[in-house]
Amino acid sequence: MKVLLIEDDVTLAQALMQSLKNEGFVVNHLTHGHHAIASIKTELPDSVILDLGLPDIDGTEVLKLIRKESADLPVLVLTARTSLNDKIKGLDLGADDYLAKPFEVAELMARLRVFERRASSLKHSGLRIGDVTIDSTSHQVSVTGNNIDFSRREFMLLKTLMENAGRVQTRDSLESKLYSWGEEVASNTIEVHIHHLRKKLPDNFIQTLRGIGYIVKPI
Amino acid sequence: MKSIRTYLLLALIAIITLVTFLSLLQGYQASIAKAQQLFDDRLQNMAAMIANANQDKNPHNVGTEKLSSTVFFQILTNDFLILASSNNATTPLLSTDNDGVIFGFKDINLNGYRWRVFILKDEHLNRWIITGERSDIRYILAENVVTASIIPIVLAIPFAAFIIWIAIGFGLKPLRELTSQLNNKQADDLSPILMANTPDELTSLLTSTNALLQRLNDAFVREQQFSADAAHELRTPISILKIQLHNLQNNEKISEAVLQPLANGIERMGLVIEQILSLYRHSPEQLLMKQSGIDLSAIVQSVIAKYYDQIAMKQQKISLIDDEVCLIKGNQFALETLLQNLISNANKYTPEHGEIQITLNDTTTGVRLIVEDSGPGIPKEQYERVFERFYRVNGDRHDSGILGCGLGLAIAKHIANLHKAKISLHTSTQLGGLKVVTDFPKR
Repeated sequence: MKVLLIEDDVTLAQALMQSLKNEGFVVNHLTHGHHAIASIKTELPDSVILDLGLPDIDGTEVLKLIRKESADLPVLVLTARTSLNDKIKGLDLGADDYLAKPFEVAELMARLRVFERRASSLKHSGLRIGDVTIDSTSHQVSVTGNNIDFSRREFMLLKTLMENAGRVQTRDSLESKLYSWGEEVASNTIEVHIHHLRKKLPDNFIQTLRGIGYIVKPI
Repeated sequence: MKSIRTYLLLALIAIITLVTFLSLLQGYQASIAKAQQLFDDRLQNMAAMIANANQDKNPHNVGTEKLSSTVFFQILTNDFLILASSNNATTPLLSTDNDGVIFGFKDINLNGYRWRVFILKDEHLNRWIITGERSDIRYILAENVVTASIIPIVLAIPFAAFIIWIAIGFGLKPLRELTSQLNNKQADDLSPILMANTPDELTSLLTSTNALLQRLNDAFVREQQFSADAAHELRTPISILKIQLHNLQNNEKISEAVLQPLANGIERMGLVIEQILSLYRHSPEQLLMKQSGIDLSAIVQSVIAKYYDQIAMKQQKISLIDDEVCLIKGNQFALETLLQNLISNANKYTPEHGEIQITLNDTTTGVRLIVEDSGPGIPKEQYERVFERFYRVNGDRHDSGILGCGLGLAIAKHIANLHKAKISLHTSTQLGGLKVVTDFPKR
C-alpha cells in the first residue's frame, strides 16, 4: 500500500517512514501542505497520514483540499492537540481516523491495515480473515469455502467488524450504523444480529465484550 | 462589624441621643432658671401694684382677701402690724426680731410649705408689702412648660432612626450593586465590572477590582496558551522516541534487555507529561464553558474500545453492565480522561487473565459509576493518600513493577470534583480487588 506522509517534523517523519517500510508500506514524505496537494493531484496514494500542524497551511485546510481531489482516499489525521473539538472538527472535515501524539506505532499500523482492508473490499470486492471471506459486490460470505446466505443487515454488520478487525466496535457505533442503513433499532437489535451471525461463523470469530461491543481479531 | 448599615444606624442614633440629651439638660436648666426669673418678676410687680392700689395706713381687711392657696400678700406697718393680708397669711411675717429688715427676695417656711417671697419697703407710706408664692408650685409649673417642649424632641428620635436607616440604605446602594455584580459573575467571566454611577469612595475599589480581573484573565489566557504549547512541544519528541524505539525493536542486534528499560522510561515520561497536562487542562473555567448532557455509557464504551489493545495484551476480561440511559451533565473530554484513568489503573494493577467490571446505575439521586477489578486492591489505610498527587502505593519501590506516576487518581478526583461527583474507594466483594465508586449528581 502506498502511503503519503505529510509531516513537518523531519525527525519524526524519518523515524515513521522507517517503521512503515518495516511493515511493508511504500512511503512518500512531504513537509508542506501545498506540495502534498500537488502530489495527490498527479498521483493518488492509497492512504494519507496527515499532521495537522504544518508550516504553510493549516492541516484542516489540506484535508478539505484532499477531499476535493478524492472523496474516498483514506486519511489518518495525526495531531499533538488532543482536545475533543479538534477531534470532531477533523472527522467532520472528512478524516477517516484520528490519532493523537504520542501514539503507539502498533496502533498506527492497525489503523492503516483497516484502511487497507476497506480498500481491498472496495476494489477487489473481497476481504478475508481466517476462514471467512466476504465479497462486497455479490454480498456473499464463504466460510471454509462454503457459501452461506446472510441477510443484508447481517452482512453489513460482518463487513464492518471485518474491515475494522482488531478494533472494538462499540454497541453505540454499530447501532448508529444500523440507523444509517435506515433500520428501526430496538435496544437488543445488535445482539440479535450477532447471535444469528455467530451460528453461521466459526466459533469465537466474533468476540463479545459484554456491554461494550464486539471485535473480530485479525489473523 | 457585621453590617455597615446597622453600625452606622446605631452609631448615629447613639450620637443623636447623647447630643440631644446634653442639650436638653442644658436647655432644661436654662429654662427653669428663666422661668424662676419670670416668676420672681411677677412677684415683684405684684408687690408694686399692691403698694399703689392700697393706700391704707390703718389695719383693716386682715385675712379678708381670699386668694388661691399658692399665693399670699401682706401689708405691714413700719411696726410690723398687719394692715391688710390675704386669708392665708394672717400673722405678720416680719418682726423686730428679724436681724435688720431685708428687702428683696427671700425663701421662708409658712404653713408647712416653702415659699418664695418678695419684701418691698413702701417708703412713701412707710410700710412693708410682702408677696409670696409657693416654691413647689413654681417648680411644677416651670417643669411642665419645659417638659412640654422636650417630649417632641425625644419622640422624634425613633422617627429619625427610621429615616436614617432608609438614607443609609440609599447611600449604600452602589456598594450593593457592586456586590451583586460580583456575585452574579460566571466562573469564566473575567470581563470588567461596569457601573452607571460610581461614587468617589467606590471608584478606587472598582478600579483595582477591574485591574485584578484583567490580570486574572491574562494569567488564564497565558496558562491555556502554555498548556497548549507545552502539549505540542512535548508530544512530538515523545512520538519520535516511541517510533525510534519501535524501529529498534525490529533490530535483532540489540537485545531486549537493553530496550526494555528504555521503553519503560519513554513510556513513563510520556505518561507523566500527559497526566500533568491534563491536570492543567481541566480547569473549572474551561469545564463550565463546555458542559452538555452526556451519555456516560457511550463514553465508557468508546474509552474501552480505544484502550482494548492493553486489555487484550493481558488477556483480561472486561465487561460493562449498564442501565438503558445514563445521562449526566458534564464535559465530554474531561469525563473521557476520568474513565481512561480509572480503566487504565484497573488494567495495570490487575494481573493477566484477571477481570475488570464496569457498572453504570441510573438511580433517583444520580448516576453511579463503579469500576472494579480482580487485582490486589489498595490497603484501606491508604484510601485517602492515593488521591494525593504523585503518591503511589508503596512509594517508588512499587512492588508491582508497573509504570505509573501517581497522578491518575488525583486527576480522576479532580475531574469528579469539577462535576460535583463523589469518588470513593472500596473493596470489590464480587472480584476481590479495588472498587472505585463515582456518584454523579442528578442532571
